[in-house]
Amino acid sequence: MTGHRATPLRLWRRILTSLLTLLLVVLAGGFAAAAFVRYSPGFDVDENSWNPRISAATAEALQARRQQKTSLPVFYARYLRAALHGDFGKSESLQAPVAELLRERAAISASLVFTGTIGGLLGGGLLAWLAVWPRQRVLQAGSASISGFLLAIPPAVLALGFFFLQAPLSLAVALTIMPRVFGTLRALLTDLRSSSDLLTARARGIGPVVIAWRYVVGTAAPQLASLGGVALVLAFGAIIPIEALCDVPGLGQLAWKAALARDLPLLCAIALLITLLTAVVAAAGDLLSGSRERNLA
Amino acid sequence: MKTPRRVAWIVLSVVCLAAVLAPWIAPYRYDQQFRDFPATAPGAQFPMGTDEIGRDRLSRLLYATRVSLALAPAAAAVSIVLGLGFSLLALSRARWTREALSGITTLSLSLPWIFLFVILRAELPLNTDPATSILLTFALMGIAGWAWAGRVFSASLRSLAGADWLLQARASGMHSWRIAAVHMWPHLRSIALAQFRVLIPAYILAEASLGLLGLGVAEPLPSWGNLLKDLQHPDTIRANPWALAPLALLMLVMICLEALGSDTNNEVTV
Repeated sequence: MTGHRATPLRLWRRILTSLLTLLLVVLAGGFAAAAFVRYSPGFDVDENSWNPRISAATAEALQARRQQKTSLPVFYARYLRAALHGDFGKSESLQAPVAELLRERAAISASLVFTGTIGGLLGGGLLAWLAVWPRQRVLQAGSASISGFLLAIPPAVLALGFFFLQAPLSLAVALTIMPRVFGTLRALLTDLRSSSDLLTARARGIGPVVIAWRYVVGTAAPQLASLGGVALVLAFGAIIPIEALCDVPGLGQLAWKAALARDLPLLCAIALLITLLTAVVAAAGDLLSGSRERNLA
Repeated sequence: MKTPRRVAWIVLSVVCLAAVLAPWIAPYRYDQQFRDFPATAPGAQFPMGTDEIGRDRLSRLLYATRVSLALAPAAAAVSIVLGLGFSLLALSRARWTREALSGITTLSLSLPWIFLFVILRAELPLNTDPATSILLTFALMGIAGWAWAGRVFSASLRSLAGADWLLQARASGMHSWRIAAVHMWPHLRSIALAQFRVLIPAYILAEASLGLLGLGVAEPLPSWGNLLKDLQHPDTIRANPWALAPLALLMLVMICLEALGSDTNNEVTV
């Protein structure tokens, strides 16, 4: 009885620890981004104060307004307090509320990231499946060569190619992820292929679809959950050059513009959002794989 | 040695040799401008033609190879040293040190690399000189990428921590630095080499992406990244297909590095 009660308690403790770690990681991510921008050379100078047409008083007022933001902890504390109420500040470069900018662009990036990630995982899985096909050296060498070739192309170049060919950019994200998950999936399938469960299932004449679903996806679910998380992080990284170069109005392009303009409120919000998304995905992957392993045990 | 590996070694050796000998074999200096010959087609004077502002493409490609091939391994070395250092610190008995380092690693792994690079690189002044820009670009890569190597080292060190020989070395009063250098390093050397081989292509690709975004090595110094900027203008490529030479060379080197590190790429490639 004690054991039955202790297990959910341990699970809740684990979830609580994960949430706390998540919160700390997100706060630290936002703070790190703010610190990078704040201590960058030339941050204290407002370019408008150099305008020869403005009066000395206006120039001083502009400079004073800039100086108000110099205390990083104060800025960050105020920023977080406002963010808790849904106010992420106003973008200095785009002159629009940050929350609105994020809302407008999130859907575009989310669609690119999710379709790209699913496509990449499916493509990587298919390539890995071909790579472990028994007694087919041509298939094995071919799939490894395709993966190696795709890995050699910078994601930004891949995106430019798709942009000029007017092909869907989510395919560029998928082709960026595909070779990067190929090695792990191939190793996973190689291990599974020689497992006694799979050999027994095949000997009993179970169909390939059931084998794939129950004995491959079912058995490797923890690893696949972790890999899915890693693939999402890779996709977040890939969309920055893709959106910036191909003029896609998503979060990646917004991050790029914010970095170039040293737009502190916008960079902080994007850093918080990206850190939150990637940390949530990583924590979910860990929790899923942990609970699955415990169930199997 | 298998044939693909042998071929990869030969190709990489030729490319590295060309990069080392760039000042002697390049027809011109990388920044020498021929104002009367902008965007010239390939010919006897300029074997690969010239770029939009009249600089010899072949000379710039040779120097770019030098920059990219010299600095990506240097950045990988920085990541390995930092990763190893942090992992050794994480072995500390103080719980808060371990927790703090674990948090820093999670944070570093949570942020997409390119996002970090874009923020860090964009914060440099616009008038940064080329030499400083290459050092900072690759140093930032080395610093930003330490967590991947650190995670692998931490896992290996944790598995070594309970070994009998380690307990025996500690019991005999050996200093921890001596234990690390004499007993642990031989176990970690092969992991460090494998990580080194994984990180080099990752940094070459990262520099290429940063260069395309205009945040890599500053002009007039060439790198594979900033030479790829021509790809944004399809008309330039149609007029002179040699503009694709940097991409072809980068891909060739990447495929060779891939072939050499094929025994280590079962993990997710960064």
